[in-house]
Amino acid sequence: MSATPLQIQDAIRRARAARDFVQQHRRTEAVIEALAAAAKSWLPATSPWRAQAVERVPAASGFSPAMVHEAIDRIFGAITTESLAALLEREFGDRRVLDEFRPHGRGQARAMGVPVILHLLAGNVPPPAIHSILCGLLVRSGNVVRMSRRDPVFPRLFLESVQAADPDLSRCVELLEWPREETALTQAALARADAVIAHGDDSTIAALRRMSPPGAAFIGYGQKVSFAYVCREMMTAEQLPALAALAADDVSVYDQQGCLSPHVFYVEERGALGPRKFAAALAEAMAAFQARIPRGKLSVEEAAAVNTTRSGYEFRAASDRRVAVWSSQQPNDWVVIYEDNPSFEPSCLNRVVFVKPTDGEPRVLEGIARFASYISTVGVAPMSDRMQEFARQLAALGVHRVCPIGQMQRPPLWWFHDGKPNLMPLVRWTELG
Amino acid sequence: MNKTASQLQQRLLAFLGGAPDDFDALAREVFAFQFERNPAYRAFCESKKIAPNRLTHWTQIPAVPTRAFKEMTLTCFPPHEAVAEFHTSGTTQSHTGRHLFKTLALYDAGCVPQFRAHLFADGARMPIVSLVPDTPHSSLAHMCRTLGARFVERLEATNEPVCLLGTAFHFLTLFDNGLVLRLPAGSRVMETGGFKGRTREISKPALYEMFEKHLGIPPTRVVNEYGMTELSTQFYDETMRVGHRSDLKRSPPWARVRVIDPQTDEDAPVGATGLLRIYDLANLWSVMCIQTEDLGIRMGDGFVLLGRAPGAMPRGCSLNAEALQNA
Repeated sequence: MSATPLQIQDAIRRARAARDFVQQHRRTEAVIEALAAAAKSWLPATSPWRAQAVERVPAASGFSPAMVHEAIDRIFGAITTESLAALLEREFGDRRVLDEFRPHGRGQARAMGVPVILHLLAGNVPPPAIHSILCGLLVRSGNVVRMSRRDPVFPRLFLESVQAADPDLSRCVELLEWPREETALTQAALARADAVIAHGDDSTIAALRRMSPPGAAFIGYGQKVSFAYVCREMMTAEQLPALAALAADDVSVYDQQGCLSPHVFYVEERGALGPRKFAAALAEAMAAFQARIPRGKLSVEEAAAVNTTRSGYEFRAASDRRVAVWSSQQPNDWVVIYEDNPSFEPSCLNRVVFVKPTDGEPRVLEGIARFASYISTVGVAPMSDRMQEFARQLAALGVHRVCPIGQMQRPPLWWFHDGKPNLMPLVRWTELG
Repeated sequence: MNKTASQLQQRLLAFLGGAPDDFDALAREVFAFQFERNPAYRAFCESKKIAPNRLTHWTQIPAVPTRAFKEMTLTCFPPHEAVAEFHTSGTTQSHTGRHLFKTLALYDAGCVPQFRAHLFADGARMPIVSLVPDTPHSSLAHMCRTLGARFVERLEATNEPVCLLGTAFHFLTLFDNGLVLRLPAGSRVMETGGFKGRTREISKPALYEMFEKHLGIPPTRVVNEYGMTELSTQFYDETMRVGHRSDLKRSPPWARVRVIDPQTDEDAPVGATGLLRIYDLANLWSVMCIQTEDLGIRMGDGFVLLGRAPGAMPRGCSLNAEALQNA
């Protein structure tokens, strides 16, 4: 149900009041403890949050129940006192700057979460929503959250779990729903925000940025794409099955709908086994992943996109030896397309992935230069000296993250999401002396 | 042209001209002909373990995805013998698809009766005016020529009823530019195509209201045409045949349209949305079974066109193909 302007105003007022209370009555340590306890309460098989999420998320998002279990293990397994402390430490050094004046550089300073953060969520995959709210709570800001139509469940249940751990803290978050098209409502919320975290496509982000108050910090997470790179030394009969399993994990988690999901695997030629063998092994691993965690339900448009992509390449594969297609028995559960053409090919998503041979990093760098600012993550195997050099070149192009294949969908809690600090833009500093 | 080919073409021409024939038998003959003469198609069929002697029904004939026309030349004759070639507009993909014709006889034979049956069922006679630009490689422009249309750049007032041909986008642009005419009673419109890749989109009902407001043509005299470069046959909605707005399209005797569930590759149930798969016997010299990227719904003995399935659904933060192309 859509929120009314009055409800939005009330929510902002309540979030701000709860924030003032928590700023006074909680220290960072207590917030860390509460958030870690909330996350931990999701992990047991008997967790009530888990049970509800598994029951309710598939209907809204399409993900299979097994995918929801996997999401819970990944998201909440990664939120611990240690990782929360690491996130704070990475951005502030001394996390007690959030509680009092502390020596900071040459002077003394303290940081305080802004009164109201407006979160505008996208909802294609669950982690960014949880991460966004978590960051707002860590700095003890008031948080007004517009949830996505596709994921109204995870934020709500997460907040309930925070409430069980610390009711005062949970009152700093107000969850609302209103349609994206209702720009008047968005405008009303933006007008009172001190910081805005927006997820969505580039045009949405640009429009929201224009609508935001000039004084508010604006953190936009737009469209991104990811890919992976396999070095020839990995292409041996001994290493291939395990590598393919990691690769299938990176592709299949969240049905490839996240910005960390790889669209293409570039595989070096002249290994003991050729790139085509990687595609075959990946297909086998995709089938195994599908058996364990089935792909979710697709809309007819999404299914049509997968079908059209698959049948188009199947037609070519019949008479063009540079192309080969592997797909599931049920025709659209997953598709692996081998194509001897180095150009980057964006996938239609939902577990459709390209494998392309390459003669080395320079060719790949050349191919991605044009859209490098859109690249989130590059998975590599192995993380060798040569790949570290590759990472330096990717960094120069503006790529946000280089990690081992198998870790693409497991960014640490403290990573600079899309190359940006998570907490820094959410606080205001006071210098002393 | 050898004897079999010319016999088959003669038989098809008769069928298109109204002679009774057996669709299933003809379809399988056309398939055998194409299997024999089109190596890329044959390789595809063989990869699916389908050959003419194993077919028991036309529905088993493998469909060629429309994007294959972008990647190869799909003909049953040496391409240099083509008398015409039509190109896709290429708004959605970087490549354009090409459909080569050994003869336009089949295309033209089907085009005129189909058009008449759906726009002139009342037997009226009037000038046909095309807003479609007269460009050489457009199948739509060829169709307008075949129908004897006069090509114009702008519309002017007239005392005689007229039949207008144009794309939905052409008409919308005229209306947006403030065109207002009161065309005489009996005037009618054939509009075709969607708005994909255009700056402005409106719903079809909203467009139909604009015909009334800007041209004085009621929605009951606006007929939507569905055709594509890769086909030789067009499909029209039933509006003017039944006298009220109808989105239902029926196939002429020489074509069939199936609605395919993209999840299973089988027929979608009645009322469910799926991909349109078209069997067009007039495509004798290319491929008769085309898998489109258009969505539609099976209704009664026809289908309702919904339009192009988006290439890649932008879902949240993942970049889609279109955005990447514009990057």
